[in-house]
Amino acid sequence: MSRDEDHKDDGFAQFEQFLEEWSRRDFLKRTGGAAAYLSFIGGGLAAFLEACAGGTSNNTPTAKKGGHVVEGNFSDIRTLNSMLSSDTASNQVIGLMFDGLLNYKKDGSLVAALAQDLPKTNSDGTVYTFKLRSGLKWSDGQPLTSDDVKFTYQLAYDPQYKDVTSPRRGDLSKYIKSIDTPDPQTVVITTTQVFAPFLSSHGRYGILPKHVLGSLDGKAINTAPFNTAPNVTCGAFKFVKWDKGQQVTMERNDNFWAGPPNLDQWIYKVLPDSVAVTNQLKTGEIDIGPVDPSHFDAVKSADNVAVTEFPVPTFTFYAYQLDAAKKGGKLFSDKAVRQALLFALNRDQVVSAVYFGHGSVANSVEPPISWAYKDKPQVLYSFDKAKAESMLESAGWTKGSDGIRAKNGLKLKFDMITNAGNKQRESMLQVMQQSWKDIGVDATPSLIQFPQLVSQITNIRTFDMFLVGFNFDEDPDQGQLWHSRNTVAGGFNGFDFKNSDVDSLLDQAVGTLDKTKRKQLYGQFQDIMSDVVPAPIILFNHGIWGVSKRVQGADFGPFNQFATRPWNHNVWVTDGK
Amino acid sequence: MLVRYVARRFLASLVVVLGVTLITLILMDRTRGTYVPGIDLNPALRPEDIEHLRENLGLDRPFYVWYLTWLGSVLHGDFGHSMIDGSPVLSHILDRLPNTLELTATAIVIGVLVAVPLGVIGALRRGSKTDHALTVTSVAGFAVPQFWMGLMLILIFSVTLEQNGLPWLPSSGAYSAFNGGDFLDRVEHLILPATVLSFFYTSQWSRFIRSSMLEVLSQDYIRTARAKGMSERRVVYLHGLRNALIPLITLIGLELPGLVSGGLVVEVVFGWPGIGKLAFERALQYDYTTVMGVTFFATLLVIAGNLLADLLYGALDPRIRYG
Amino acid sequence: MIGPSRVAELDMPAAGVETAAARPAQSYWNQSWERLRANRLGMAAGVLILVLAVIAVLAPVFSAVLTHYQPQTINLDQTFARPGATHLLGSDELGRDSLTRLIWGARVSLGVAFLTVALALTVGTTVGMVAGYYGGWIDDVLMRLVDTVLAIPAIFLFILMSILFRPNAVTLAAIVASVGWGSVARLVRGEVLSVKQRDFILATRSIGARDSRLMVRHLLPNVLPVLIVAASLGVGQIILIEAALDFLGLGIQPPTPSWGNMLTNAQSYFFHSGFLVAFPGITIFVTVLASNIFGNGVRDAFDPRLKG
Repeated sequence: MSRDEDHKDDGFAQFEQFLEEWSRRDFLKRTGGAAAYLSFIGGGLAAFLEACAGGTSNNTPTAKKGGHVVEGNFSDIRTLNSMLSSDTASNQVIGLMFDGLLNYKKDGSLVAALAQDLPKTNSDGTVYTFKLRSGLKWSDGQPLTSDDVKFTYQLAYDPQYKDVTSPRRGDLSKYIKSIDTPDPQTVVITTTQVFAPFLSSHGRYGILPKHVLGSLDGKAINTAPFNTAPNVTCGAFKFVKWDKGQQVTMERNDNFWAGPPNLDQWIYKVLPDSVAVTNQLKTGEIDIGPVDPSHFDAVKSADNVAVTEFPVPTFTFYAYQLDAAKKGGKLFSDKAVRQALLFALNRDQVVSAVYFGHGSVANSVEPPISWAYKDKPQVLYSFDKAKAESMLESAGWTKGSDGIRAKNGLKLKFDMITNAGNKQRESMLQVMQQSWKDIGVDATPSLIQFPQLVSQITNIRTFDMFLVGFNFDEDPDQGQLWHSRNTVAGGFNGFDFKNSDVDSLLDQAVGTLDKTKRKQLYGQFQDIMSDVVPAPIILFNHGIWGVSKRVQGADFGPFNQFATRPWNHNVWVTDGK
Repeated sequence: MLVRYVARRFLASLVVVLGVTLITLILMDRTRGTYVPGIDLNPALRPEDIEHLRENLGLDRPFYVWYLTWLGSVLHGDFGHSMIDGSPVLSHILDRLPNTLELTATAIVIGVLVAVPLGVIGALRRGSKTDHALTVTSVAGFAVPQFWMGLMLILIFSVTLEQNGLPWLPSSGAYSAFNGGDFLDRVEHLILPATVLSFFYTSQWSRFIRSSMLEVLSQDYIRTARAKGMSERRVVYLHGLRNALIPLITLIGLELPGLVSGGLVVEVVFGWPGIGKLAFERALQYDYTTVMGVTFFATLLVIAGNLLADLLYGALDPRIRYG
Repeated sequence: MIGPSRVAELDMPAAGVETAAARPAQSYWNQSWERLRANRLGMAAGVLILVLAVIAVLAPVFSAVLTHYQPQTINLDQTFARPGATHLLGSDELGRDSLTRLIWGARVSLGVAFLTVALALTVGTTVGMVAGYYGGWIDDVLMRLVDTVLAIPAIFLFILMSILFRPNAVTLAAIVASVGWGSVARLVRGEVLSVKQRDFILATRSIGARDSRLMVRHLLPNVLPVLIVAASLGVGQIILIEAALDFLGLGIQPPTPSWGNMLTNAQSYFFHSGFLVAFPGITIFVTVLASNIFGNGVRDAFDPRLKG
C-alpha cells in the first residue's frame, strides 16, 4: 500500500475523531457536511478551520498528541553540555533538551522560559533579579532551583571551575561579578559593569543539573558521561540515545514547565549534504530541514513540503588586510581603494545568481531586521563600475601595459581566501575576481580548509583578503568584529581594523541600557563603517526551512532557527504517528 | 620455514604500524601553534582560553612526546578521547567498525553473485559479441565515480520511486531514524550503498573468473570428462566452475586490506556511519586522537590482509619461493 | 574503491612462460601485437585515449578556435544555459562555457593521470627490478618499504596530504603516485622472480654481463607488457581517484576545472541543470571505460594461455 492511500484512510479516521471533539451541531451549522469534509481532507486541520465560517474568533486547531518528528542537519553533535558546546549542531540539540532563564521570540525579543518573567534590573543596570517559575522540575522529578542556575554559570566564571574548558569563560568571567541565590526561586546576577547585551547573549544558556554534576571537579566535568548522555534534562525533551554519526533520539519530557510536549519523540538526524536534505524532505525521510538556496525551487515544488523563508542576521563579508606592514595592507590602507572595489561589485547580481535571490544586499553592517538598523547610512554602494574606475584613477592607481593598475610600482594584485566546500563562497570569489578584473585589478581566488581559514583569521594573518560568513545574536553589538581590542592574537578582528571613533561608539553603546540612546549611537557607528568599509558585507542571508506538511506548530523566524526555539513543545503532527 | 616467515613479517608489521601512525601525526601536526582542534570561528574565546585548551589536549608538548605518550596509553588499550567531542576514541571506532564491515562484506557478496555469471558466460562464449558486451558491462559499473553513481541511484530508486507512489529505498543512514533498526530495515538501507560499492569488485572479478574458467576448461581432465561422455552442463559446472572458483577465494582475501578504507566515498555519499567517514570528518577537524586511533586499526587490518594475501598468493603460484 | 588493485598481479602471467626459452623475444611481441590489432574494441579504446590526450594538449587552440571562451570567464547573465548556439554544451552556475571547461579539464584530469602513472611506474619498476634481481637482504629491505607504503590506507593518506598541501595538478600526481608505486613494485618483482630462473638469464650472467645491462636489455622487455597493462588501467583508476578527492573537497580546487570537480560541482545544481552533471559524467565514463578496455585488450593480447 502506497503512502498516499495510507493518508486517505487516515484522513477519514481523523475526521471522525475531529467530529467527536467538536460539537456536531456547531460545525454542521456553519457549513454543509460534505463541503466541510472535502476541505478538511484537502487542506488539513488548519485550512479547514480557516475555510469554516469566519464567525468564530480564536479557535486554535486542537493539537494532536503523540507521534514523532525527524529533523535533519549536516553535522553530528559534539557535546550535550550547554556550557561546553560551541558548534551549531550541539547547540541545536541542546536547545531541545535544556531551557535557559530566557529565550528568543521570532524577532529576537526576549521571552521568559525558566524564569517567570523578564528580570528586574536595578537603577544603574548592573543587577538582574530573576524569579524562577514555581514548581520547576527536572525530568527525573527533582526540583529545579536557583542553585542549578548558579551552578551552571559558575562553570564558566567561577575560579573553582577554571579547568572546565568552556567557550563562555571569556565573556562570563569578564562580565559576571557574582550570582546570589537568596531563596530557591530567586537568582540575582550582578555584573561587573553595565553591559547592554548581557541578557540577550548570556541569559539563554541551558541550565545544568547540580544534583548530577555538582559532585564533579572541573576536569571531571570536561569528560563526564553526562556530556554525551544527559540522563536529566529540563527542556521539552529528554535524552534517549545518541547513535554516533547517525542521530540523536529524544523523547517527551513530562515534567517540562510549559506542559508535556505534544510529540512523543524528536529525532535529530545527521545528513551528508544539502542535496540529501532536499531528497529526504521529498521522500519524507525527514520532516524538517534547512534548505540550500539553490534547492529552493526543488523543495517548493514537492507537494508534501511547505517552505518558509525569512531574513536572518547571518551575513557573508570579505575583509581587507589593514595591517600596513603586510602586503595586503599596503594596498588596502587607502580608503579610496576599499570603496572603489566595493563599487565595482554588482551585489544585486551576486544575490540573484549565487543565492538565487534568497538574500538581500547589505547597505549597512547591521542586519535589516535589527532594531538598530539604519537604512541609509552615510555612504551607499550601488554597482557603479565607472565610479570605481575613476576613484582608482584619482587615487593614483593607473593601468599598466598588462591592464593591471599600479601605483608607485606597486600592483593592485592580491589573493583572496575562503574555505573549500562552500559553493556560494567559491562562486562569490569568482564573481569578485571577474568584477575586479574588469576594472584592472588582479585578484586570485584560493580555497583552503576551514581550520586553516580559522587559523589565518585569528592567528597567522598573512592573508590579503578573506571571505567568510558570520552571524550575530539579537543584540546590535558588533564589538567582536570591529573593536580594536580584538586585534590581539586569537581575536576575530584579524584584519587589524583600528578606529578609535568606532571603539568609543561601541563601548558607549554597550555601556547603557537606554535603547533610544543606543540606537542613536549605532546609527553613528553605521555611518562611520559605511564610509571606512574595512570589511564590506556583501549580503544578509535568508533562512530557508522545509517543513513537512504533516508537521504543525513549527514557527520558524529570524531568531527562531536552530538552537533558540520557544515552540518546540507546541509542535505536533497531523497523522499522530 | 613458514613460521619463521610469518614471525618476520609480524615483527616488520609492528615497525610498519609505528611508521604509519608517526607519519599521520607528523602530517596533522603541521598546524601546531596555529590551530587547536575543536575551536570554530568563536570570537568569544580569549587567547588564554585557547592556550588552556591546547594544554588540556597535550599539544603544548613537542610532537614526539605527544606520540610516545599516546603510544604508551595505546599499549594499555587506551586510545584516548576525541579532541573534538571528548568521547573515548575506542567507543567511536567500535561503534562504527561493524557498520563498515557490514557494508563491505555485503558488497563483496553482491560482487561475487554478479561476477561469477558474467565471467562464466564470457568464458563460454569467448570472442563473441556477447563476450564483448559482457566485458563492457562488467567494467562499466566501475567506470563512473562512485559519488556520481550514488547520487543517480538515490535520485532513481529513492526520490523518483517515492514521488510516484512506488516502493522506494532510503537514501542515507544505516537504519530508519524512527523505529528503525530491525533486520529488514537495515537491509533496505544496505541495498543502495552496497550496490555502488560492489561494482568495483564485479569489474575485477568477472574478468578474472572468465580467464580462470578458460584456463580450467582447457585442462586435460576436462577433455577427459567430455570424452567420457559427461554432459556439457556437468562438465562446465561440476568440474570447471568448481575449480575455477578456488582462486576467487584468494581474490576475496586480497580485498581484505581495502575493507576498512575502501568504502569511504560510499560512506560519505550515503551518510553511512562507518569508520571511513569517521576518519575523513575527523581528519578535516584535526581530531588527532581519533584519526590516530582509526589509522592504527586500519593499518593493522591492511597488514593482516596483505600477509594473508601473500600467503595465498604464494600458495597459488609455486614459482614464488619464500625463504 | 580507492587504492591499487592486486588482481592485476594474479591475472597477468609471466610473458611467454613456455616459449621464451625456445623462441627469441621478437616474434612473441609480433604475435601479441597482431592479437591486439585484431581486437577492434581494444584498439578503438586506445585511439580514443590518444585523441583525448591530443585535445588536452591543444586546449588553448580549441578554446580560441572552437568555442571562443576561456574556462574561467564568468557571465552571470547566462547561467545554466541549455546546449545551443551560444554555448555548445551549455553553461554552468556562473555562466562559464561547459565545453571549454571540459576541454581544459581534460588537461588537468588526463595530465594528473598520465603524470601519476609515469611517476609510479618509474619508481615502482626500479624498486621492483632491483629487489627481484638481487634478492637477499636488498629484497627484504625494499619489500618492507613497499609493505609500509601499501599498508597505509591510501585514502587516509590522500586526505591528510591534501589537507596540508593544497594540491595543484603536479603535487596531486606526486601524492597519488607515492602510494601507487608500491603495487607496481610488487608486480615487477613478481615478474622478475619468475623470469630470473630461466636459462637465458643464467647464461647471460655467466658470461659476465653487467647487472644493469641485464636488467635493462633482458628483464625490462619481459616486464614491459605488465607495465603497459598497469599503465593503461592506471590512467582510468586515477581519473576516478581524482574525481573522488574532488568530491571530498580535497582535489583540484575550483576555479581550475577538472572533470572531477566539474562533476562534484554539478551535483549541487542538479535540480537546475541536468546537463551540467551529464557531460562531465559521460566524459569520465567514456575515458575510464576506454582505459579499462584497452588495458584488458593488452593483457589478453600478451596472455599466451588464450591461444587463438
